[in-house]
Amino acid sequence: MAILELSGLTKRFGAFTALDNISLGIERGEVHCLLGENGAGKSTLCNLIFGVHRPDAGTMVLSGEQFQPRGPAEALQRGIVMVHQHFSLVPNMSVAENLMLGRASAVLKPQDIIVRMGQLAAEYGLEIDPDALIEDLSVGERQRVEIIKCLLGDPRLLVLDEPTAVLQPDEIDALLAICRQVALRGKSVILVTHKLGEIGRVADRTTVLRQGRIIETVTMEGADMRALVRSMVGRDVQSAGSVLAAAVDIEGKVPAKSAMDAVDPTSSGEAVLQISDLVYRDAHGLARLDGLNLTVGSGEIVGIAGVEGNGQTELGLILAGLASPSTGAIVVGGTPVTDCTPQQITDAGVGIVPEDRHAVACIKELSVAENLFLGAIGKFSRFGLLDKSARRKAAEAMMREFDVRASSPDVSMASLSGGNQQKAVLARELSLDPLVFLLAAQPTRGLDVGAIEAVYNRIRAARDRGLGVLLISSELEELMAVSDRIAVIYRGKLVGELSAGSFSREAIGAMMSGHAHV
Amino acid sequence: MIDEQMAVFIGSGLRLAVPIIFAATGEMLSERAGVLNLSLDGMMLMSAFAAALTSWATGSPLAGVAAGVVVATAVAAVQAVLSVTLRANQLVVGIGFNILALGTTTFLYREIFGPLSRDPIPGLAQLNLPWLASIPVIGPALSSQTGLAYVSILMVIVTWLLLKYTSFGLAVRAVGEDPRAADKAGISVARTRYLGVLYAGALAGLGGAFMSVADSNTFTENMTKGAGYLAITAVIFGGWNPWYTLAACLLFGFATALQFLVPALQLDVPVALLLLLPYLLALIAIAGFVGKGRQPGALTIPFERGG
Repeated sequence: MAILELSGLTKRFGAFTALDNISLGIERGEVHCLLGENGAGKSTLCNLIFGVHRPDAGTMVLSGEQFQPRGPAEALQRGIVMVHQHFSLVPNMSVAENLMLGRASAVLKPQDIIVRMGQLAAEYGLEIDPDALIEDLSVGERQRVEIIKCLLGDPRLLVLDEPTAVLQPDEIDALLAICRQVALRGKSVILVTHKLGEIGRVADRTTVLRQGRIIETVTMEGADMRALVRSMVGRDVQSAGSVLAAAVDIEGKVPAKSAMDAVDPTSSGEAVLQISDLVYRDAHGLARLDGLNLTVGSGEIVGIAGVEGNGQTELGLILAGLASPSTGAIVVGGTPVTDCTPQQITDAGVGIVPEDRHAVACIKELSVAENLFLGAIGKFSRFGLLDKSARRKAAEAMMREFDVRASSPDVSMASLSGGNQQKAVLARELSLDPLVFLLAAQPTRGLDVGAIEAVYNRIRAARDRGLGVLLISSELEELMAVSDRIAVIYRGKLVGELSAGSFSREAIGAMMSGHAHV
Repeated sequence: MIDEQMAVFIGSGLRLAVPIIFAATGEMLSERAGVLNLSLDGMMLMSAFAAALTSWATGSPLAGVAAGVVVATAVAAVQAVLSVTLRANQLVVGIGFNILALGTTTFLYREIFGPLSRDPIPGLAQLNLPWLASIPVIGPALSSQTGLAYVSILMVIVTWLLLKYTSFGLAVRAVGEDPRAADKAGISVARTRYLGVLYAGALAGLGGAFMSVADSNTFTENMTKGAGYLAITAVIFGGWNPWYTLAACLLFGFATALQFLVPALQLDVPVALLLLLPYLLALIAIAGFVGKGRQPGALTIPFERGG
């Protein structure tokens, strides 16, 4: 019996149709995956079900009754719960307080919630300290709180919007196991993802969305993964193989090799980036980088692998000039840039694709053209006045070259998809002159398959024209697909290095967790 | 002699602190829900006038207090519509209200009371609790207060209990810190903020009414003299905590009362400088202490539901 029946759901935002005539039934006790690229309408569909938005047309029937939620409160009351892509926890309140939010009696009873947490811990293995403040928890732990929050009220339908995007591999396994547990107890799960690997492991059925329409709904037993990718992307991805595998996380076969080849960094051209004995202490005096040495040669892509929080973010900030190292030296193409301002670093020939696209890489309220020439405003000024038409022309040329899709250079950056925003950032950074070195920090985070492919191709092309590239990524598959050499960072130091051809998940994974020595 | 002067000083310090305690306590809760009522001073002034007028017309100061609360809450309701529902800039709305309140009360006062400004306005009586009066030094100061002064302390306790032990308080804190998260937890952000603003209005009403029918038994033009602004400062000074906010209000009250104590002790300090003192303290407090108490994350930011 279908617990939730959607028929003819349509949702428009202005002129844009986000969802077009969606009809779908969610069965009792099934894990139903929604697969699709960014912008395919997965999140919008979830938000309709959860009452965040209201459909423009179509109906929903929940357990045989009409369901037209006017807000999340009503969805919750009817037994629908949701874990959002962005956590909805209040950071300076405790776990227990967050769990009581919106469901407590007039007077708070923390004891009741703690007892219930104990039950859930026993049932699903979801352990967490009720008194811990949310802001002190790791991302994985915060998600656990979100899930506990959802399960507290004994829901009928659990909606998870891209829950694995932020998790470590072992945390992903735990999450998928919890999904199965929830389904086993007769509840239904809707899991949104764009990673095929996860779908194969957890889904009973999968619905593929593309451009707001349902392409197909398939039963996972005996399903053809390649066909699913084709439905999702709408075409054959040219460079299938490793890139595709990396993007969608199909178990790629990577040649396992136990020996770790130490690579002579100078073998790949002259050094364009030389980092020696870099130490960075944070505000609390903790050494986030602890004597890091790294050389990137011209014409090579060096990947930095590591569990998040081992210093890679700080390394990126320092290279961008957004943080000052405590000690150590950084030289780019012969110019020392230790402790330089971002402007001086740019002038030395460093392009930066920052980790945080929204906060650092672009100004969303400004137009695409303005963002493309953010650092070069002077280039288009005549007698102190801005020559907008010249800038517009230059922007159009750049957008063509880098395939940035927007209706015009004058639309705001915010109106672009994540992939196009990232292409614009890459366009800006790769058009710098001089340019000898590119730092790409988490360059494909949150992007869809097509955009990921484009970013990889750009990075490779930059390498081929002689740039040195440092790729910092939390996706091991990505590093293995793109890098010529992978260095593993652990507690602020590089603990090992492998060259292309000898990459092995096991070896890198061991080094990432500090279990191997060089 | 000194004892007597100290008793007067403490008594007047408390008396001067009471309106600020009312206003600051309500404002603190509203700000914890994310709405800054810069119109606090205007609410108090409107309430002071309404209380004086009603008390004069009916002969009942309690009716005056009730009228003050009703008027201030009504102002707060309009403020809530503008800053919560219509998402207007909270600072601009607040400043507008203050100017409006000053103009309205001044005009009505001259129209209604002009020739009668010497008529006495019935005020609340002092409680004179004998068991309190027997405490040395502070006893007389404490017992010579009106019932409304005790209510102000009661409201601090009530507000503290509300914030700490009730689901309403939890909702207030969540809505002021991260309205999106609260919304997704099924809490109505608008409803919570409305209640917060109305609460601030009702308490500002008590504070304003206290000024005209419990403290001075008269109404004068612009009689709040920025007490509402001091209350807002006290909230910041107190780091959005009810007890620290109370302490800040007392500090402001006593700083104001110094203008009575210093001349009485025959110290040679210009009175004008003493009049300035609370405002100077407020500035120093803001400059030196802001950043220590963390302000609610969503303070003054209107909430709009999005993806």
